[in-house]
Order: sequence, then C-alpha cells, then structure tokens
Amino acid sequence: MKTTIAPPAAGSAGGERSRLRRLIGGGALKLVLLLYAAGTLYPLYWLFISAMKTNEDFFAHPYSLPSEWVFTNISRAWDLGNMGRAMLNSAIVTSVSVALTLLLGTLAAYVLSRFQFRLHKLALGIFVIGMLVPIHSTLVPLFIFMNKIGMLDTYGALILPYTAFELPIAIFIVIAYLSSIPREIEEAALIDGNGWWGVFFRMILPLCKPALATVAILAFLRFWNDFAFALVFINSQALKTLPLSLSLFSDGYGTDYSLTMGAMAIAVLPTIIAYLIFQEQIMKGMTAGAVKG
Amino acid sequence: MPASLRSNRFILIALLPALIVFVLFAVLPILWSIYYGFFQWKGMGDAKFIGLGNYRDMLQDPVFWRALRNNLILVVSAIVGQIPIALAGALLLTANTWFNRLIRSALFMPMVLSTVVIGMIWGYIYNYQFGLLNQALTLIGLESWTQAWLSNPKLNMYAVSIPINWSNIGPYLIIFIAALQNISSEIHDAAAIDGATGWRKLVSVTLPMIWGTVVVTIVLCIAGSLKAFDHVIVMTGGGPAKSTELLATYMYNSTFAVYRYGYGSAVSTMILLISLLLIGINMAVTRRKSS
Amino acid sequence: MNKNRFGKTALASLAAMALLSACGNGAEENGGASTNDSGAGGGKVKLTLWHNFAGDDARAKTVRAKIDEFAAAHPEIELDAQAIPVDGYRQRLSTVAAADEMPDVFLSYAGSHIKGFQESGLVQPIQELLDAKPEWKDSFLPGAFDGSTFDGATYTAPLAMSATSFLYYNAELFQQHNVAVPKTWDELMAAVDTFNKAGITPIALGNKAPWVAQSTILGSLADRVTGTDWFKKAVAQDGAAFTDAPFVEALGYFKQLVDADAFDKGANTIDNTQAEQVFIQGKAAMMVSGAWTLTNLATTPEDTLKKIEVTVLPAIAGGKGDANTISGGPGAGFALSKKVEGDRKQAAFDLIYAISGPDAQKAIAESNSMVMYKTDVDSSKVTSLYYKAFELVKTVGITPVYDAYLSAEAGEAINNGLQEIMMGAAPDAVAKNLQDAQARSLNP
Repeated sequence: MKTTIAPPAAGSAGGERSRLRRLIGGGALKLVLLLYAAGTLYPLYWLFISAMKTNEDFFAHPYSLPSEWVFTNISRAWDLGNMGRAMLNSAIVTSVSVALTLLLGTLAAYVLSRFQFRLHKLALGIFVIGMLVPIHSTLVPLFIFMNKIGMLDTYGALILPYTAFELPIAIFIVIAYLSSIPREIEEAALIDGNGWWGVFFRMILPLCKPALATVAILAFLRFWNDFAFALVFINSQALKTLPLSLSLFSDGYGTDYSLTMGAMAIAVLPTIIAYLIFQEQIMKGMTAGAVKG
Repeated sequence: MPASLRSNRFILIALLPALIVFVLFAVLPILWSIYYGFFQWKGMGDAKFIGLGNYRDMLQDPVFWRALRNNLILVVSAIVGQIPIALAGALLLTANTWFNRLIRSALFMPMVLSTVVIGMIWGYIYNYQFGLLNQALTLIGLESWTQAWLSNPKLNMYAVSIPINWSNIGPYLIIFIAALQNISSEIHDAAAIDGATGWRKLVSVTLPMIWGTVVVTIVLCIAGSLKAFDHVIVMTGGGPAKSTELLATYMYNSTFAVYRYGYGSAVSTMILLISLLLIGINMAVTRRKSS
Repeated sequence: MNKNRFGKTALASLAAMALLSACGNGAEENGGASTNDSGAGGGKVKLTLWHNFAGDDARAKTVRAKIDEFAAAHPEIELDAQAIPVDGYRQRLSTVAAADEMPDVFLSYAGSHIKGFQESGLVQPIQELLDAKPEWKDSFLPGAFDGSTFDGATYTAPLAMSATSFLYYNAELFQQHNVAVPKTWDELMAAVDTFNKAGITPIALGNKAPWVAQSTILGSLADRVTGTDWFKKAVAQDGAAFTDAPFVEALGYFKQLVDADAFDKGANTIDNTQAEQVFIQGKAAMMVSGAWTLTNLATTPEDTLKKIEVTVLPAIAGGKGDANTISGGPGAGFALSKKVEGDRKQAAFDLIYAISGPDAQKAIAESNSMVMYKTDVDSSKVTSLYYKAFELVKTVGITPVYDAYLSAEAGEAINNGLQEIMMGAAPDAVAKNLQDAQARSLNP
C-alpha cells in the first residue's frame, strides 16, 4: 500500500518497470491534454485569422490563413462601432460591478456560513431564486422600476442589476469555499481581540482569495459580454457598452462577418488579460492566506 | 457591549447591503414577472387577468415539453460531463507549472470567447456540405455516417449539447482548482502517511474536503442548463422546427417574437419552479451521500 | 483592531450605493425614451428618434446621413437619434412599449408590428403629413400604405420595398450545363435534376432564421396556385381556410422541391449570408431571395456579380394566380408616438418628411435598396444586378408577403411548418397548424 511514498528499491526490476510505465502514462496523458488544449485554443486562433480576411475569403476558405491579410477590418470596426468609448464604458461598468459583487457577496457569504440566526434559511433561499430565472424575463419589470426611480441611462442602471444577478453565484462559491476552512482559526483571532470586522477583513478576505478570484473571473465575463441589459437600460451613445458594438454589423438579412470578427477580436483581448491575472490570484491565494492563519 | 449584540449588529450590517441590492434589482423584478404570468398581455396595451390560463396552455403545448426534454438533456450532460471532466482537470492541473498553466488557460478559453464565435465554429464542424466532422468521417471510410448534424431532429440536440458542455467546463475547472488549493498540505501529508493514495485518497480525503463545492457546482449546472440560451440561439435558433428549442428560447420567442408577454412570463416562472425542484432533489441526494 | 473603523467601511459602502442610485435620480433627463412634452427649457424642441440603420451598409449610411442633414438644418430642434442594432431592435421597442415610454419617432415594420402599437394606442397617424404633401403621397407605388393603414388612417410611410422573391440565377452555370431559365414548374424541376447530377446545389437557401423560406419561396409559390383573393380571405378567416385544397397543393410544390433535393440538406441550419455566399461562389445555381440580397451583395466585385441574372419564379399550370409576379410589400417606415403634440408634432413631421420624403427615397434607391416609391436611379451609382432587379420590378405585379398579413403566431406556425416539411412532414398537417394559429389569433 505504501509503494508510492517509499522510493522504489534502486535497481529492482519491478520498480524500473512501474516507473517506466508511469513515465509513458504521464507522457500519454500530457499528449492527450495538449491535443485537447489545441482544440480549445483553435477557436481563438480562428477568430483572429478570420478577422484578417475579406468577406469573400472568409466564406471561400474558412479554415486557411488569409489569402490576403486585411488589417482594416479591425480599424474600421473600431471606428464604426465607436469601440474606444464603448470599451471605456465597459471597463468602468464591469470593474465597479465586479468590486461591488466581491465586497457584498463575500460579506453576505461570511455571515451566512458562520452565523445561525432567525431567517437564515430564508435569506439563503432568496439568493438561490436569483440564479434560476432567465434575465430576459426581468427586462420589462427592471425597466419600469428603474424608469420610476429615474435611474435609467446611468452607469448604475447596469452596475446594480449586474451585481444583483451575480450575487447568488458569488455567495454560493464563497460559502462552499469557507465550509472547508476550519473555524478554530477565526475563534483564536476573535479571542486575540479582533472584532468580527477585523476577522473578516484581515483574515477571511485574504483566505478567500482563490474563491474571490474565481467569482471575479465569472462576473467579469458575464458583465463584459452582457447584451440584454446593455441594450435596454442605456440610451445615450456616450454610455453604450461593448456588446452593442459587436452586433452592429448584422442587419437581420445579412451579416458583415469580417467586420463582426474584427470587432470581436478587439473585444476578446481584455477578457484574456483579465483571465490571466485572476488565474494567478487563484494559484497564489492559498499560500498567502495560510501563512496568516 | 455584550458579544451577542455585537455579532447581531455585524450580521445586520454585513448582510444588508447585499440583500438590499438583491431584493430591489433581482427579487422584485422576478416577483413582478411572476405576476405578469397570470395575465393575457401582448406586452403593451391592456392586460386581462386569466389566472392559471397561461400554465394550462403551456402544459398542453408540445413545444413546451420538447423544450423541457431538451433542457433535461443539457442538465444530465452537464452533470455527468462537465463536472467530472472539470474535477479531473483540476486534480491533474493543480501544480502551478508552465505546462499546467497553458492547459488550464486553454480549457478556459471557450468561456472567454463570444458565443457567436463558438456557435460559428461548431456550425462549421457540423456543416453538411463542407463540415469538418463529415469530412473526417468520409476520410476514414464512414461516409454512410455523414449527416446534416444540426438538422436531424433525432440527433441535433445531442450535437448542440457538446459545444455547450465543452465551452462551460472552464468555470467549474477554476472553481474546483480554488477549492483544491484550500486543502492544506498537512492534510495531503497525513493522507500519505495513512497510506491513502490514488482513488482511495480521492474518495476518502479529497472529495469529502471539497464536497460543499461539488454540491454548489451541481446547483450551478442545473441553474445554468435550465437557463441556457446563447449557444442555441447562435447555432440553430431553436430550430429547425423547434427541435432544439429550450425553455429560455421558448420564453424569449413567446415574449418578443409572438408578443405573448404574459405567457412568456409564465414560462419563465416555470423555469424557476423546475429548477427549484431539481435543486431540491439534488440537495436530498447529496445530503444522504455525504452523511 | 478598532471594530468601529470596519463598521464605518461597511457603512461607507452602503452610502456609496445610496449615492449611486441618487446619481440616477439627479439625472436631468428621465431615463425612458420619451422626452417631456413641454420641451420648454431654452425654447428648444426636443425629439427622440429610434431606428435600426446602425450598420455599415450603404442604405444605413444613407439614412444616417439624411438624419444628420436634418439635425444640422434645424438647430432649433434638439434631436436625440438612436441607432440600435437590428438584432435587438424589436426587443428594445417591446420593452419601452410595455412601460409606455415610446420614443417620439421610431422605425416600425409594416404589418403586425405597427398594428400592435396601433391597437395598444401607442402611436398616432401621420395622415396629416401625407395629406399636406400630395405630390409625395401620390408618388408611392400602389399598396405602399397597405401594411400600415388602419381604420382609414396611415401610420407610416415606407422607406423600403421588401420585394421578397426574386429568382436569382447564375447564368454561367446555366450555360455550362445547357439549362434554360425555367419558365414552368416542370422546367424548374428538370433544372434541379440536371444540377443535382452535376454536383451543384440547385437552390441555395439559408433557412436558419425560419422566416426565409416562407418569405422568399412560399408566398410567391402559393399565390400562383391560390390567387391573391383567396389569401386575403383566408387571412380574414372569411370564406377560406388554410386547410383548403389549393393551399395544401401549394405546400406540396414546396415539398416537391425538398424531395428532389433542390436545397442543401443543411439548409435549415445555415443563415442567409452563408447561403448567399454559396450562391455567389458558384456552388449553387439558383437562389430565391429578396431585395436584401441586392444590398448584401453590393460589395461583391462586379465581374462576379455580372454572372448573376434575376427573374421571377416559374408559372404553375392551372394555378389561379398571375405568374408574372413577385411577393413584396412595404417595408418599415417611421411611426409617431401618441404623446407627441403641438410644436413637437410639427417638428416630428418635418423630421419624418426629411428622412422618408422624395430626396430620401431616391438616395435610398441609389444605395442598392428597393423603395416603394416612383423614382429613377442613376445606373452608374448602383450595381448591375441591382439595376436589373430595379427594372424587373417595374414590369411585374406584386403579391402579398405571407408574414406581413398573418398574425405573429400564425407567421411562426408557417415558418416552422416549412422547416417541418423540409424535415419530412406532410403538407396537410402543416396547413392545419397554420389554420389553427390564424383562427386562434382572430378569436382568442
């Protein structure tokens, strides 16, 4: 039973064979993973080569490299879609919403996972419901509500609904994560004279870094790519977000694919960068938190 | 100040902001939409209260049942497909080597890309005339297997579910990786000393440690699969002839294409009820397992 | 650690939220689409305009230019023009309609779209404007106001003609394979057979958005069999029903095409643009499509476009309808919100005239887009294919497009029904679903 931790006896034939087998197995596994990864990376590659093609080229040779590299798709999409402004708006709306989701979500998750109180189950149940409704059915009620309180056509008209609909996922991911952190650490900290706020900000938040980064990635993608709310709750050109620019080049009868691809190639870059940043946070998170505990 | 009062105040102040935002901007619209579901309303002009009439219509509409069946295919494929693959990926890729980093990022990439791109790529894979799948089949001599994959109503829902699952593995992968990060190295050492390795360690040590996360991912799978919308809209638009219709696309069509707003709201409420039912079942099953 | 500091942080975040919503409250303009009726502030008249000419195609640019011209010529009007992507346009309008917050002037499709707003009392007629400009009103083609006139008052003036069923064909392929342009149904079926044998898709069709086959093929085909009078009676459910034999027969002709493999097997899952590309690349011999294909192909190189010819669908022996016709009708036009009154109404009329008046109609026609208006186009400004189609339209009769007359629900039923036929369903079952849906929507 202890074969794996006891180093195999040097020179023993069985040890050699099993090591060889594991080496081959590991190699095969790596190969499979690499192939799968190549498959999942292909669409990204395809997006970028397609963005460099003319419409005719795109349809005639969908898989090959551009027969003539066209860089104007990207620059035209940028100008026509007013993508500079749109990207700034998306950045503002997305980052504020992500920050708000993280702060409110973690606080709520901490309370819900550590305290028993009246209405505890009810609060938890209410948050579940928020995950289960397709957002399209809330468009009209939200529109009417925000119109009444005069909130439409502001950044807030996107930030608050985004945050509200992402909170359940944030809360449940963080609760799940907290459930595997032993409470003894916090109790010790409480006895040391930290209040609950102290425990939360100095201990729980850093400990939860991997969960927070996870929530942040998911929230970022959802907000960055949202079309439905952005379409309906924002009026003025100056506040429009990126997904609206992406759908400009399709008119119901036909689609200008080269411009659409160009616009999408622009829009995808920030999401890749955001992903890479947060992924590092997930991996670094635990080691940093554990030291303090 | 007594400790219990202090913690009460903390509970209140910490929970309230999230609750306020959530109730105003999610719960209220949802209740509102449930209320619309009791009306015959075009989405403008006068509305007529018809009680459960929309629900009666829905239960008699074969399209509703087909959509439900399609959604259940997605739920099952997500639970038996996405979660095990994501968990396996997370277990294999926890060490932060450059190779693992590359693979992890790659697995996550479909999530980053717009569904339009994903939908188009898979449209090309499944295309009858010049699709990659049919070309590959012809190449290996299985020409008789070639298909209009997205048109054949017996197959197309399964064909559509593959890209949906494939592109949604990423989030579960990182959720699991984050959870696994949390198992401290002492526990790994303890398990090693006890002689738990491989499958036994997975079942007796690792899985119980992240069980809370597994349950949450199943809930997310159920909720996500019942709300699924984008990929199908891009790939088939719910067609041909409603064969890939999902509850959410059905709701959307009723609301914005056929102008049956009240009916669409009722469908949305139905999605909520079915999700709750499935989540309840999930909770009952997983609780028994974990005890 | 001082717990109060953390308490304050939380309070501060609450306050920040309150502020966020207060920001909204403080905004001067109410968030909805409508503007305040008074428009008094500073003597400027405020108007909101919503349209979907958001893209980069020639027509969208033309209309946007007309809007800009109007804004520049009328400094006394504060015009808030919104170009909304087509993909989300109906949804956006539906949402503001539900909240009774219509924009002052907005683009609305002829038929059931504008009718919905009219029935709900959200729009007012533009009859006054039409009557004030008789030379403009009289230059529209017959039937131009059919889709937007209710109880004797007209609500929109069309910016486009949606001619939906041209038979485009690749003359080079026809010549290579010795096929004559089909004048009768049998000739069409023979051509389908010849091209199939030669490994060329006979008819390119992108029916992923399921209205395409209905709008381009069925309307024209059925009219040839049943005649227009029957269709109008069936729509009114007055002395005719969609289960009548001639209509089932018409669906049967469509099924013949399906059974003869006239379309690609994946036709239900590719979109219109993909089908157009298959056709323009010479991989398909024919395409039955609307005037939008002229707009979509406007950027195709002339030497490719020169191979393409355009005609009408073939005649059907024994049919009650005229054969030399295409289905078509008025497209979208600008509608006026009920709430617009006084000075603002006059300004709105000026705006509508500026973007759908004689100059605008000519400019739109010269952006490779059909209009419902008597105008000449300079052939050097348009593509050769467009010019051929433009000339053809002058010589043919126009028959109704099905979904412009059917209720939204019945339209959905026939759209799906055609997809079902392409998947093997029987015509009479499809006819029954259509009949049921139309009957239900007339008597809910």
